[in-house]
Amino acid sequence: MKFEIEDVTVYFPYDNIYPEQYSYMVELKRALDARGHCLLEMPTGTGKTIALLSLITSYVLSKPQSPLKLVYCTRTVHEMEKTLAELKKLHDYQVKHLGPAARILAVGLSSRKNLCVNPRVLSAENRDSVDAGCRKLTASWVRALAEKNPGVPTCEFFEDYERAGSGAVLPPGVYTLQDLRAFGKQKGWCPYYLARHMVQLANVIVYSYQYLLDPKVAGIISKEMQRECVVVFDEAHNIDNVCIEALSVCVRRQTLEGATRNLHRMEQEIDRFKATDESRLRAEYQRLVEGLALRGDLRVNDTWLANPALPDDILKEAVPGNIRRADFFLRVLRRFVQYLKGRLETENVEKESPVAFVASVTNQAGIDQKTLKFCYDRLHSLMMTLEITDTDEFLHIQTICDFATLVGTYARGFSIIIEPFDERMPDVQDPVLQLSCHDASLAIKPVFDRFQTVVITSGTLSPIDLYPRLLNFNPVVSRSFTMSLTRDCICPMVLTRGSDQLPVSTKFDMRSDLSVVRNYGRLLLEMVSVVPDGIVCFFVSYSYMDEIVNSWNESGILKEIMQHKLVFIETQDVVETTLALDNYRRACDCGRGAVFFSVARGKVAEGIDFDRHYGRLVIMFGIPFQYTLSKILLARLEYLRDTFQIKEGDFLTFDALRQAAQCVGRVIRSKADYGMMIFADKRYSRHDKRSKLPGWILSHLRDAHLNLSTDMAVYIAREFLRKMAQPYDKAGSGGKKTLLSQEDIEKMGDGSLNDMLY
Amino acid sequence: MASAQVIKRAKYKTTVKDPGTAGVLKMAWDRFIFTPNHPNSASNLDVEFRFIKGHKNTKEGSNKPPWLNLTNDQGGSYIFEFESYPDLHTCRDFVGKSIGRSGETPTAASGKTDASLPDEQISTAELELRIKLLRENSELQKLHKQLVIGGILTEAEFWATRKKLLDRESSRKSKQRVGFKSAMISDIKPATDGRTNKVTFSLTPEVILQIFAEKPAVHAAFLKYVPKKMTEKDFWTKYFKAEYLHSTRNAVAAAAEAAEDEELAIFLRNDDILAKEARQKIRRVDPTVNMEADQGDDYMHLPDHGLFRDGGKDIIESQYELYRRTLAHDLNRHAAVVLEGRTVEVELEDTRTVAEALAKLKRVESANEDSDGTANQGILERIARITEIEDLQASHGPPLAPLCIKDPRDYFDSQQVIAVKAPAAEGKKCNLSSREAYGSLRDSISQTKQMGLLNPVVKTKDALQVFNALSHDISRTKYDVGKNPQDSVLDKLPSTTKEQLLHHWTSIQELLRHFWSSYPITSSYLYAKVNRLKDAMSQIYPQLEEIKKSVPAHHKQHVSVLVRQMHQALDAAFQHYDADLQKRSAKSSERPNGYV
Repeated sequence: MKFEIEDVTVYFPYDNIYPEQYSYMVELKRALDARGHCLLEMPTGTGKTIALLSLITSYVLSKPQSPLKLVYCTRTVHEMEKTLAELKKLHDYQVKHLGPAARILAVGLSSRKNLCVNPRVLSAENRDSVDAGCRKLTASWVRALAEKNPGVPTCEFFEDYERAGSGAVLPPGVYTLQDLRAFGKQKGWCPYYLARHMVQLANVIVYSYQYLLDPKVAGIISKEMQRECVVVFDEAHNIDNVCIEALSVCVRRQTLEGATRNLHRMEQEIDRFKATDESRLRAEYQRLVEGLALRGDLRVNDTWLANPALPDDILKEAVPGNIRRADFFLRVLRRFVQYLKGRLETENVEKESPVAFVASVTNQAGIDQKTLKFCYDRLHSLMMTLEITDTDEFLHIQTICDFATLVGTYARGFSIIIEPFDERMPDVQDPVLQLSCHDASLAIKPVFDRFQTVVITSGTLSPIDLYPRLLNFNPVVSRSFTMSLTRDCICPMVLTRGSDQLPVSTKFDMRSDLSVVRNYGRLLLEMVSVVPDGIVCFFVSYSYMDEIVNSWNESGILKEIMQHKLVFIETQDVVETTLALDNYRRACDCGRGAVFFSVARGKVAEGIDFDRHYGRLVIMFGIPFQYTLSKILLARLEYLRDTFQIKEGDFLTFDALRQAAQCVGRVIRSKADYGMMIFADKRYSRHDKRSKLPGWILSHLRDAHLNLSTDMAVYIAREFLRKMAQPYDKAGSGGKKTLLSQEDIEKMGDGSLNDMLY
Repeated sequence: MASAQVIKRAKYKTTVKDPGTAGVLKMAWDRFIFTPNHPNSASNLDVEFRFIKGHKNTKEGSNKPPWLNLTNDQGGSYIFEFESYPDLHTCRDFVGKSIGRSGETPTAASGKTDASLPDEQISTAELELRIKLLRENSELQKLHKQLVIGGILTEAEFWATRKKLLDRESSRKSKQRVGFKSAMISDIKPATDGRTNKVTFSLTPEVILQIFAEKPAVHAAFLKYVPKKMTEKDFWTKYFKAEYLHSTRNAVAAAAEAAEDEELAIFLRNDDILAKEARQKIRRVDPTVNMEADQGDDYMHLPDHGLFRDGGKDIIESQYELYRRTLAHDLNRHAAVVLEGRTVEVELEDTRTVAEALAKLKRVESANEDSDGTANQGILERIARITEIEDLQASHGPPLAPLCIKDPRDYFDSQQVIAVKAPAAEGKKCNLSSREAYGSLRDSISQTKQMGLLNPVVKTKDALQVFNALSHDISRTKYDVGKNPQDSVLDKLPSTTKEQLLHHWTSIQELLRHFWSSYPITSSYLYAKVNRLKDAMSQIYPQLEEIKKSVPAHHKQHVSVLVRQMHQALDAAFQHYDADLQKRSAKSSERPNGYV
């Protein structure tokens, strides 16, 4: 359908539109007009992605003079594929209606592993990772060698791509990873480097969060983007965690040992150069005096990450005098590694601020803050001078320099925590020195500064006022949409008791109670016999899941469950989990029905949809709190309390409930879909916990469903499923329309539409 | 077959209440002999099977002892009490066969011309099946009695037209392919004898097949080691030892044991074959669930970056990873195998054959996988379908599954029945003479010439007439009996007449079927058969007349309509027979040598 929002003609690839989608587009358009950032919460299953894509592409189409570009960030590759599939549908529709003028170039960018087409690199016999295999064939020094000696193998796809030069471009269209591979194979060009190159030219780029948020990666992949970009972070409820991860570094014994080896090798190289070609070292020295922090002049096919600290923080000043000379710099690094070794040999947990840590480094190792700050760039320069190209051998020393630069740059928002062992496994000695970032706004700040519009959207951003504080930005639009349903197609329940009326909970003191384990088992068993097709269960952690599944196995409950449905489990092995998930879907497709056991903070919960028959019921066993004794978490909580006045308990509850909401929220795909959600923990019945759930779940949580036992829940489930099996009017009955047709939109002006919606 | 005999211990009773005489029952192919243990007992029996007309026996599970009751043609009976039900079953089956044979022997004897079908070798199983069918279906039994025992058809001819019935019966057992059970095989619990520390596992071929399917390493090891390196028993002992070590969840102990015993290590280690399979499968996984794609991005997964001991992450025990196998892994593997549902098409008897059949199946599968290039396309289409929001647009038609006829015979036979029925119903309502028909045709042609084509080519009135005539006849066919009883004429008739009519109808059908199927007559055997059939058919006429006479006056009308149809069918056959005979005699006058 085609309709107008103010001055923009929106092309939407369906015959009907949900009212939420329409108002979502209206809000989004306001943000684009205002060239500001926005924060939009819309329930899952209301077609966020397609609404967003179709508004932004239509916006660009209606203003052909603006060079607006869409950068769409997803958390995972499979979400990226889904987004590209939707974009493809949209693009087809727009081209059909507007002709070739609507053609755009949209590419998905991923790692070598997902894009490589070279059969030699991919072959199963090849034990190397794809990355290593690729580098062995494409590194500049290998290629230089191959020119002299034709016997050295290179990658013909990369060679052809290089030979094609600027002629190697993708024709307009939407390219999923599969399409890129197919195109690359057909042309004989390397799809990975082609995609990297096309990022500069594409109208729409879909890639992972880190490619934009992690300064090390963003510095090489996203550095040449213009300001006129709309950056979208989809499923962004966890964006604060991604941000702090991007700026955190940990140092372990292995790291230090590796770094020592690296230093030794570099020393040998320097000696060699001193003997043969000392002028090079002198030239480098001169460059450093002039203050040229060299970055970005390594070839695209060699791996060298950008500076871990943010580009704006790198002063354009000369490198400090004491590390300009190569051997002096090595000596500094050696002292630093030695110092870190000493710090790791601790018996107790230590926690320090960066300022105190730098002071201690200055005192004990004689390295000042400014020197630390320049470590990373100085190392880069040195390695270029020494013509070291097998950079992945030197990852350890890079990590150390990362660490040094971050510690030297930031005085606030970080802390250094040294733990001699993991709290949960006190008998295994594994000391870790962790530089932990607490302030999510640091990593995302350059994104907000650089691009004119940043959209943060997800199904669960409640409470919506918290995110601007955590990420430190001022959205021009901040809205949370509810869901207008044609019928009550979601049925959330809070289960507090088993059929024997004993309470159930994953509270630490009662999670291993036999009665809790048994009641959870009986709940699943009852549900398995009532609910058709797929059921998903989320547990609070792998260890808890392991424990409970084992005890179900011993008590025979698991066997009974398996008489009704096949059982699949998420494990920490991603390959196995993926296959299990694939099989789970197949079991649901063929009508056999299956149960999937998963973990609330695991990979599956992060972005796999259990819509339609893939998930008719989600059971959340317990509340997925973080491990509250973790030192890193405690330090972060302290920081949040001091800076943002967010109470520890509030943040923990907020974090746990957004995870829970995320887990259960994936059952709905559209208003025609339906699903049940069971929160199986007595604590959910308390108002302070429950109220943190997103509004669209709360509005369907009836008072009568707040304190259920297993038998009551089974009864409700039966009734619900029977009700959902009845035919219904899709457009919605009564005064409230839940599905708008072309006519509806044309008939109603904006004013009356808004009246109807809210 | 003739030499087969059964000897069982039994008690002979003259009546049910009689305590019985203990002795030995010996059954040969044509007779049974009972010899009492007590030599001077009077109850010595020697009876030929052809005098036996029926047999009854007590049901297993009822609280009666295992009795077999044989009734002879004089109405007397012989009752035998066996020691056990299996004995009873053996004898009953034997008797059943013998009675069936004694019925057919005279046929074979009477029809003993040089023109019999080549001897068919009937297996006992097939014979049993026939007897069972006859027993279950009284109509069939009647027909069998009349036609086969009456000497009109041979046994073989009778059954030849009922092959399908036999096939269905025999294939019923093996038709459904059994998949794997949902229950896990780890549920095999050992049996302990309570005194010693020994445990006993009992393995069935089914369980073994499942173990092999779920654990390719065990399968490979079996093919490699048994029986060259170790016996099968040793093999399974080792296997269960390894399972026991797993169940203790003591990775350290498992590692220690594995270090000592090379073969044991195979069971303890992670399965390499599975890992390889997984690597292959992961490439064909739906990209929208492929979480593996996120792994190993060279930019995002640098060592020592990010938060190491975050509160949100779980800890992993990495020690002895090699010897650690979790329940989760087993569950996933089990469910995957059950879902694949591969079945081995061999009798599950010997472990070795099971192992080999499975290996063969796997080779076939892997060959298939290599060749399918369309899989990717399918995945892409599926993704496109899944990403659509279903209620925002008009729904697509429901997905269609292509018609797949597993057994083509089922399909074509049913079609044929319909095709055969239609002309049979139509052929009888035409009473016009050819002259009249020609006239009307000419009229209509000239009419069309004058007026051009009318829009309805056939006049509505005529169409209605034809339709009525057609449906009128259809409602009278036998197939409607019971479906709409108020319409059927048959139900109004007295039950004896009805039964007689129906019986005649089926036997006429049977005879006609054989009659028509014998044409063209190509051998003297067929000629003889046709003659036999003709004689039998000609006997039906007076019988039909008799029925007509016997019914009360107010039913005469209906009966005569029914009988007329039968007459017509028979007449057609005779007409054909006479015509054929004339042709033949004309030919044979040219070629006096007789039939070819």
